[in-house]
Amino acid sequence: MMSPMTIRAAAAAAAVSLAVAGCSTAPSQPAPAAPTQAEADAMAAGTLSALAPANLSKARPTPPFDVTSNWFIDVSQDPKAWHFYLPPYPKLTAAAQQEFDTSMKYDAEGKVYKDDIGQCWPAGLPLIMTRYWPMAMIQKPTAIYMISGFMNSVRIIYLDGRKHTAIDEIVRTYNGESIGEWQGKELVVDTIGFRGDHHWMDQDGPAIPAGEKLHIVERFRMVNDGKQLEIEFTMTDPDHWEGEWKSTKRFNRVVDADIQEVSCLPDLNQHLQSTTSKTQVFK
Amino acid sequence: MRKVLWSAVMAVALVAPALAHHSPAAFDRTKKVTLVGTVKEFRWQNPHTWIEVEVPDEKDKSKLVVWGVELTSPTYLIRAGWKSNIIKPGDKVSVVVNPVRSGEPSGIFVSLTLPDGRELLERPARLGTPESK
Repeated sequence: MMSPMTIRAAAAAAAVSLAVAGCSTAPSQPAPAAPTQAEADAMAAGTLSALAPANLSKARPTPPFDVTSNWFIDVSQDPKAWHFYLPPYPKLTAAAQQEFDTSMKYDAEGKVYKDDIGQCWPAGLPLIMTRYWPMAMIQKPTAIYMISGFMNSVRIIYLDGRKHTAIDEIVRTYNGESIGEWQGKELVVDTIGFRGDHHWMDQDGPAIPAGEKLHIVERFRMVNDGKQLEIEFTMTDPDHWEGEWKSTKRFNRVVDADIQEVSCLPDLNQHLQSTTSKTQVFK
Repeated sequence: MRKVLWSAVMAVALVAPALAHHSPAAFDRTKKVTLVGTVKEFRWQNPHTWIEVEVPDEKDKSKLVVWGVELTSPTYLIRAGWKSNIIKPGDKVSVVVNPVRSGEPSGIFVSLTLPDGRELLERPARLGTPESK
């Protein structure tokens, strides 16, 4: 049986050999550490946490960029850039078209149709990315943690090589389950596992449902000398539109503001009378 | 020159969509209502700051109507000179709002005049650009 010191030495040697083989580690990564028994058990069970020291310290290729920062949707060229329902439009299914037409009918009457976000339901992906509040992103070797300055919404993109959770075990959420992979100079993120109720592709105008079959692939790129983050969204949901719906957004790096705690408290809308006024249509 | 630039920024602010956790489509942006009354409550909070203003009923001046005024987040209000104690219950103010289309006593903030005559506005809900400084 190897002593703990021998195990650590072996792990360090393995890390060095990987680095020599061209698989260098990022400067910010800690030196590889020998797994504890609990970590070894979790590895064997396939449940090792993204924040476990043994996972964080694994030797990995250096990522091409680090998204750690606060970001804010860039609307400097177009005030409507936060919307997803912009050209090119997908062809909607009959079910989605019915919701779209109903929302437009009420919009023409000066009414607001099924504004679930306004009733404190989560914005969910993709809309959570473009709210008019900053988004903090914290990149670790194994995951990116995103905390929105809107409703404290948390999104996690796992980068540690795990696969999506089995469909009969996945816990459906509004931000879904995101798995990322570095490909060349891009981060490619695959997200499934969405809730299909009270979940919409846009707000303030056309109502297009986001369903349980929603599948989003995002390509993250650092552009404009790191001043902006670009995300190209490719979205499919055969229950609501045909083919791929594409949209590209840019986000400004924010260095003079932090996110704040933002809760949709039970008494919030009591004092925002417009959300409970006769302008609202809930069914 | 600086004053001119600031005016331009405010012009953009007035046509840009308001920051809201809800759809702003409930408000009639073509109409303005001036509320001259007394602050009942002022809540400095996220996602929206709000003010309740007691205003004499137009038809029966002996009655008071409470108007709800919705503002942006403190993140942006601070950049426009607001503080959490800039107004308090009992203050006499004049508030301009875009009202909800239904005619109920509710509106989204446009401007406020303090008892000392100073005017408060909002700033665009933008970060990471020169105009957001």
